[in-house]
Amino acid sequence: MEIALTLDALKLVGYGLAAIGPGLGIGIACYGCCVATARQPELQGRLFTNFIIGAALAEALALLGFVLAFIL
Amino acid sequence: MNPLEELANGVTHLQHSFDSAYVVGPVTQYIVWMVVCLAITLIVVLVCGRKLSLVPKNKFVHMVEYGYDFVRKDMGENAIGHGYKKHVPFLATLFFFILISNFVGLIPGCKTPTGTISVTWALSLVSFVYFNWQGIKAHGGWGYIKSIAPSGLPKVMVPVIWFFEFVSLVLRLLTLAVRLYGNMFAGHMALGIFALATTVFLQSITSSIVGVVGIGWFALLLAMYALECLVAFLQAYVFTILSAVYISLATSEH
Repeated sequence: MEIALTLDALKLVGYGLAAIGPGLGIGIACYGCCVATARQPELQGRLFTNFIIGAALAEALALLGFVLAFIL
Repeated sequence: MNPLEELANGVTHLQHSFDSAYVVGPVTQYIVWMVVCLAITLIVVLVCGRKLSLVPKNKFVHMVEYGYDFVRKDMGENAIGHGYKKHVPFLATLFFFILISNFVGLIPGCKTPTGTISVTWALSLVSFVYFNWQGIKAHGGWGYIKSIAPSGLPKVMVPVIWFFEFVSLVLRLLTLAVRLYGNMFAGHMALGIFALATTVFLQSITSSIVGVVGIGWFALLLAMYALECLVAFLQAYVFTILSAVYISLATSEH
């Protein structure tokens, strides 16, 4: 079986690389949210909102990679 | 035939089933399902609105009111804060429509309207125009442009930070659309592949013992389905709360 390393395959690899950073970022944000909620459960609502904003900002990078994989 | 080869053939067929196909004239199957979801949303809300009373006794009314209260408390009051009341109808409309669209897609045989980029693009455009319009109403045109950069920065840094904030503002249009589309499309694709693998392997059970793997695929399919139910709710929630946060960022005094 012939394995063709085409430009299309490289785009997918690029998307995979672009997903590493946001994955780590969202993980760290979720860790921070959990720890903070455990310390001060009464602030949970505001902490969760902030977590969602941070996760959205980090996720934007992964989504950019996803879009670029299609349009490049 | 080797089950793996059959699976590879089936996957191409599966991918084509996600493409927009014309049903009548310029109307694609996604538009049909969008109209169906819109009708369901309207019926649910209108029927509930008809039966409103001070102390709800009906279970259905209770359910819809709980959803509205969820939008009002969790998204309005928590995310927007002061002056949230006038934005609640907009947020509730977004939340109910996206939630119903996502859940309709989980019924076998139905398509989710949010699984195509055009519908999510339109939704994110509505949200984008709305929060910018609210920001312009709150600060005035020039004031809104200035308020994109947070106040209290050193004078030299203002243009640089303004530029980055502006890029991230424009990217909100893209990220809102692609997040919803990507999650729904990828989830349904994964469900489709697991369902396909289950059928292919279970059908080959008569010819080879390998077919027993099909039971494992079926268990995986059920687990994935449960996960997709969570994702369907979570994506509706995330879309609405991000709209709320963007509104609060645009209208608040920095």
